[in-house]
Amino acid sequence: MTKYQLYKLVEKTETLKDERHPMFERNKFMKFLAWFMVAYYAAILLFLGVVLGFALKGDYSAAYHRLDGGFFYLLIIDFWTRFALQETPAQKTHCYALLPIRRSFLMKIYLIRNMLSLGNLFWAFFLIPFGLVGVVPIAGWDAMLGWLIGYWLLFVFNGLCYLFVRALCMRHMLWFLAPLSIHIILACVCTIPDHNVLRVPFVMFINGFATWDLWAFLIIAGLISIVLWSNYRLQMGMLYNEIGKKEEVQLKNASQFSVLNRYGAMGEYLKMEIKLRMRNKQVRTQFFVGLGLIIFFSIMLYFTDIYDGGFMKSFICLYNYIILGVMTLGTIMCYEGNYIDGLMARRDSIYDLLRAKYYFNSAILILPFLFIIPLMIIGKISVWMNIGYLLFTVGVLYPCLFQLAAYNKNTLPLNTKLTSAKQGTMMQNIISMVILFLPLALEKISVLLLGPVWGYIPFIILGFIGITTHHLWLRNIYHRFMLRRYVNMEGFRASRNS
Amino acid sequence: MNIIINNLKKTFGEKVAVDIERYEIHSGDILGLVGNNGAGKSTLFRLILDLIKADTGNVHMAGVVQGNPIDINVTETEDWKDWTGAFIDESFLIDYLTPDEYFHFIARISNMSDEVLDSEMKKYEHFMAGEVTGQTKLIRNLSAGNKQKVGIVAALLLHPQILILDEPFNFLDPSSQNIIKHLLTSYNQETGATILISSHNLTHTVDICPRIALLENGHIIRDIENTNGEAQAELENYFEVEA
Repeated sequence: MTKYQLYKLVEKTETLKDERHPMFERNKFMKFLAWFMVAYYAAILLFLGVVLGFALKGDYSAAYHRLDGGFFYLLIIDFWTRFALQETPAQKTHCYALLPIRRSFLMKIYLIRNMLSLGNLFWAFFLIPFGLVGVVPIAGWDAMLGWLIGYWLLFVFNGLCYLFVRALCMRHMLWFLAPLSIHIILACVCTIPDHNVLRVPFVMFINGFATWDLWAFLIIAGLISIVLWSNYRLQMGMLYNEIGKKEEVQLKNASQFSVLNRYGAMGEYLKMEIKLRMRNKQVRTQFFVGLGLIIFFSIMLYFTDIYDGGFMKSFICLYNYIILGVMTLGTIMCYEGNYIDGLMARRDSIYDLLRAKYYFNSAILILPFLFIIPLMIIGKISVWMNIGYLLFTVGVLYPCLFQLAAYNKNTLPLNTKLTSAKQGTMMQNIISMVILFLPLALEKISVLLLGPVWGYIPFIILGFIGITTHHLWLRNIYHRFMLRRYVNMEGFRASRNS
Repeated sequence: MNIIINNLKKTFGEKVAVDIERYEIHSGDILGLVGNNGAGKSTLFRLILDLIKADTGNVHMAGVVQGNPIDINVTETEDWKDWTGAFIDESFLIDYLTPDEYFHFIARISNMSDEVLDSEMKKYEHFMAGEVTGQTKLIRNLSAGNKQKVGIVAALLLHPQILILDEPFNFLDPSSQNIIKHLLTSYNQETGATILISSHNLTHTVDICPRIALLENGHIIRDIENTNGEAQAELENYFEVEA
């Protein structure tokens, strides 16, 4: 078999791996949504390209020079969006580790595939219309071609940089601070009015592509070569780590949470909820990202006035309460899919588990409540809004999210990173959207009709009703789960380890 | 506790996984299920445990519980879970707990006190050979053999009247295989529990199972009495012919 044939074979296997993922295969909505989102973002980029092209046309300098001076922002956006979608070669190649294919060859294949990925061309939806308006009329078609090739090479370089950082992040999460710091520093420099020392060199560099200057292409080729070689070395090292991956096998402190013993079986399920979050990388990360968002928005609202509009205050208050719920309850039962057979072999275990999840997720809201207290003290968020949203979350929004327990049937890995493309079902997406935006509309109507204090009373009453009846609606969800148990268990089994 | 299988059929596409017209496993039996890969052993266990849906038919459990005669269809109630212990594969284990935490979890959700649990665990100390309990290792970090031990002990922990173990000898070292054989036979003698095991190890199966069912393509093609080990020759003959 020639190397090219081997390359095509691996490429075909990888394509099938994504296409035949159990959840993707069964979920027609996800297929539609995936294509819809691609078309949606492409349309936005097309629109921006045209609008920006016309907006900058006729300016004192060529339109594309204005864009080129700030091309770095495009690279920043491109870099961080890759985190949600792209796996590292080390993660992808370890399944071939024992096949008679040289690992170095496999790694080269994946790096080349990454460079030739269509994702690197996605910005063409923005650059082509922009170029047609802003480059071709000024510099001609040959400049447009060189300019586009130059940008493509920049995105290839950016993709390789992402891979490098992503691999480092697998060693230690804090490595993400390295690109973050660089991006913040460069963004700060680029935003200093009249003192942007980077603008001229950036414009000259990109203009080099448009004028087909050899030095511009040599620079980018050199940069790509360096980062490609660095990636190859790092990823090969990571491949061995991935194959022989062994997490820390001894717990430093196996806490027993004995305070929960007094609650009997419920206490045991509560302990399980806590340990689920403490001991599983994927779940822990999800939890801390949610917590980070709460802190970020609270700080922004406290120290700045950029979110001082009525809608944004309301949104942040609600968001602080519901974001953890949306993130963790949106995938309710998906982590339990890993040991669902064991749970199902015990009487009422799912009901008890649901109750424990409800109590745990309700108790955890003490954190956003604490973060909102300073905002109440300085008067940015009213006491009534805070209490209204807190009770509404526990008593109304949580019951909505818990409905997913009866329908979720895709097992999510506890400890390994999953690309977001493989997560989410129609039901999860719809409920998450409704939960994030419907309460805001209701609040507007309620406050408009009843005033800024009484407007929140319906929220408090509804929340209170939901809390006091939680046994009933949880039991109802449990019954519906049991009615769907065969379908759900089949889904959990099919998606386990896939 | 008797297990009665009636007209039980399960197919996966064209493949018939289980097709049993009627079969009864009597209270106190140790039944060994043998058959080649894909014969339907694990699927039958999953059907008995209501983990997959049968196309037709049902599984009943009948016997006496706390002095009351019962006869239940496993799909219609969860009562049977109180007297049934099972270990099929790793999907029965909560792998981010340590073995001790997992045993405590099972005991406490079943209202077993810590004292009773401790005395129960002593029975399995020899089997676990000091490598399972008293560790701060999570279950997912244990070797395959030790995970198997956790699953088997967890299934036995609550004194089930029906015990179902899929390939219990897998991954175990020779000493542990012999210990588990002894544990199962003595548990059966002491409690009169009905035990179902599947295995590819004919010797072990013949050693401990007075009754052996041979599965082929989902059908029980032979129901072999093995009170004196006479099944060995018949099984060897069958599998050699197949080879």
